[in-house]
Amino acid sequence: MPVDAEKEITGLWRDLHGAQDEIGRTYYRWRKAALELAGPGVEPLEVGLKAAGVIGAEIGRGLLPRLNWLKGEDAWLRSLAGAIAAQWTRHGAVVKLQKGASATEVLLEWTRCPWPTFAKEYGASMEEDVRCCDRILEAILEDVNLFFNVHYRIETTKAIPRGQGCCVRRLYKAE
Amino acid sequence: MSKLLFAWDYSSYPGAKTYPNLFQPIRIGNLTIPNRIKYAATEDNFNDPEGFITDADVAYMRARAEGVVGGLCVMQGVYMDLGRQGQGYVGQAAAWHDRFVPGLKRIADAIHDERAVAGFQLMHCGRVGAVEVERCQAPSYVPQRLRVFKPVEAMSKEDIRRGVEEHADAARRGIEAGFDVMEISGIVGYLLSNFISSYTNRRTDEYGGDIRGRMRFAVEVIQAVKAVCGTDVPLGIRLCCEELLDDVRGNSPAESIASYQIAEEAGVDYISVTAGWQESIVPVISRDVPMGSWLHLAKRAKEHVKVPIQMAYRLFKPDLPDRAIGAGELDVWEMCRPMIADPLMPKKVLEGREEDIRFCVACNLCLARLFRDAPMTCYINPRCAHEHDPRFTPQPAAEPKTVLVVGAGPAGLECAYVAAQRGHEVHVYDRRPVVGGTLNEAARAPYGDEELLTCRDYQKTQCEKAGVEFHLGVEVTPERIAEEAPDTVVLATGPVYVRGQGAGFERDNVVNVLDVMAGTAAVGARVVVWGNRKPGIGVALKLAREGKRVTLVGRNRSAGFDINPSFKWRYMIYLRQNKVTAYNDCDIEEIQDGAVVVRTYDGYRFPVACDTVVVTERERNDALKPAVQAEGIELFVIGDALVPRNLSSAVHDGYRIGLRI
Repeated sequence: MPVDAEKEITGLWRDLHGAQDEIGRTYYRWRKAALELAGPGVEPLEVGLKAAGVIGAEIGRGLLPRLNWLKGEDAWLRSLAGAIAAQWTRHGAVVKLQKGASATEVLLEWTRCPWPTFAKEYGASMEEDVRCCDRILEAILEDVNLFFNVHYRIETTKAIPRGQGCCVRRLYKAE
Repeated sequence: MSKLLFAWDYSSYPGAKTYPNLFQPIRIGNLTIPNRIKYAATEDNFNDPEGFITDADVAYMRARAEGVVGGLCVMQGVYMDLGRQGQGYVGQAAAWHDRFVPGLKRIADAIHDERAVAGFQLMHCGRVGAVEVERCQAPSYVPQRLRVFKPVEAMSKEDIRRGVEEHADAARRGIEAGFDVMEISGIVGYLLSNFISSYTNRRTDEYGGDIRGRMRFAVEVIQAVKAVCGTDVPLGIRLCCEELLDDVRGNSPAESIASYQIAEEAGVDYISVTAGWQESIVPVISRDVPMGSWLHLAKRAKEHVKVPIQMAYRLFKPDLPDRAIGAGELDVWEMCRPMIADPLMPKKVLEGREEDIRFCVACNLCLARLFRDAPMTCYINPRCAHEHDPRFTPQPAAEPKTVLVVGAGPAGLECAYVAAQRGHEVHVYDRRPVVGGTLNEAARAPYGDEELLTCRDYQKTQCEKAGVEFHLGVEVTPERIAEEAPDTVVLATGPVYVRGQGAGFERDNVVNVLDVMAGTAAVGARVVVWGNRKPGIGVALKLAREGKRVTLVGRNRSAGFDINPSFKWRYMIYLRQNKVTAYNDCDIEEIQDGAVVVRTYDGYRFPVACDTVVVTERERNDALKPAVQAEGIELFVIGDALVPRNLSSAVHDGYRIGLRI
């Protein structure tokens, strides 16, 4: 029986996009539930940052067995950056890695990201979206830094939700 | 004794002979209206955020009042509640306080200045209201199909009582403002229709139940407003004859007719027939619905009630209502969109100048803007919404110039006649032997696109009347520009069709959309259309209806990115119905023998079987620009040559540059 490659691949592709949509919506449904439970006195940003801290720490711990220092710091950094990019790619973003100004710096560029769209759909502010991403990234690095006894930092230089067309984050070794 | 506000004698006008039924008087209540023409109430979002009437709205209504040549001209429906739950549009006029009366009077006076009959409409937007507040009102809590609307709040009996009172109070203000006819809106999802429909009225009290119970609120409103109107001011109501909500168990046609009979019993003097709701999932008024499709509803209404029956709904040409009135199937020809596109449309019919009518192309851009809180505009009438602004009216040119327009498409023609009307000497060149540019091919797309040619025909006539000189079948070269040495050159050359960056675009089986639409390109059984904007969708549907297996591949995130949302959803239905597969956010990576490789935005690739690739992607056209600039000639680039867009942009570009030269 011949394989209809178009049908099979596009079927999977559509399922992937459906699953990616569910990831975003599930986060925001939980956020809605959390805000309802927390009551009117709580700032949505505080709830979002708390969740972002939990998410980032979980992701960071998940990376520990997969990062290999023995391949050298350059390769280790590329693996770390790739793992961070993959986290967003799985959600539907398009993320590219670029070399930074030194061997201990990598730039991550998000040319597309579904999260601001979800934020809009559920009435979250664009600033909350940026700051929660920042918090996730910081939290990822906390355990990674401790485990490998290094001091890497990440900072946002551009953000789609701020109308800058893309998100750019600089992952670098702090002196 | 019937009252006649303004006497009109149409006997000497050619239109009254061609369409004798349209220009006969009609008695509505105790008022005689000189003809059968009505500008039906239309929201425009021109008024200020508090609901006070603006100069823009007065000028807009004055133009339509001139157009009805003595007929009935109804202003937009007003909301009537301080809490603004009845407000469905950001620029909707208000009438919840006496302080709105002076503004409303300006509208009535403007209509009377044109010797037309002034109509006032009461419109609580019900479950599609509350545009500025958090919750809208309806008889029962039933969520809306469309997410754009606010959450629904079920009305208490006190709310209902207050609603009736607000209708009566607003009616009194309308009469104080000088309006001659009162109208209640009970259509398309507004409050009265919410009560009448079995879809949205789930009440178990006396305001729910069978159709008589569901009509109770409407009857109370009619009686309260009628008490205010007395015998001098006729009262009409707009009601759905078919809700087209079968999928959510809306009213049956029999129930809708029963609502007409109950309204008549309650005392209305006329009924305006409508079809469909904003939540209906079938096309009702776009150009894919043939003209005259809904006349059977007017006929049905006439068979069941005695009061005059009025109707709009795809009656864009005068012969249709004229015949229907003659056959006793309709009494008054209503218009909204045809008079948005051309406010003087019926006047031109009367004067025998039908060739001067700019016909509506039923694109629904006007509605799409209203629903998105933007001031109304018209796809093909650039003056719409600018009637109050003298800068949008052609004025004689301070210094007559010779103008060379390159391209006889919609942008070039629009610019040419406007410039010529202002006194310029205008020459239009086109390498094609006919005018219309790519509109000639675009109009071959299915689902009513042939109506787009009315734009070309109008522009051509206006050019001819304004003395524009055509040079068709002539290619304009830099040498010709240098030789002619005009004062101004307008480049309206249309777009450049581009080939993709993928491999294989040079193959013989890659053809251009214009050739396919014109029927001059050979097209195989399996087709990939490259480009998912309107040209791509048009050719995809054409080929699919010819029996081809069509796949649409485009770089935009959704197909029809350039089509207004009030029309786009129909194309999505037609693509599905015709089994066109759409891969959006994708590009063609390679064209191979018998297949193309499609690449998704996120990097996945898959093959699509294909015999022919149709190119529809366009870019701006810079040809001739350096040549004109080198000669130091004043230059304008318009339409798709500037940025590939749509017919509307071409017309608007052309008009504005025609005013600027």
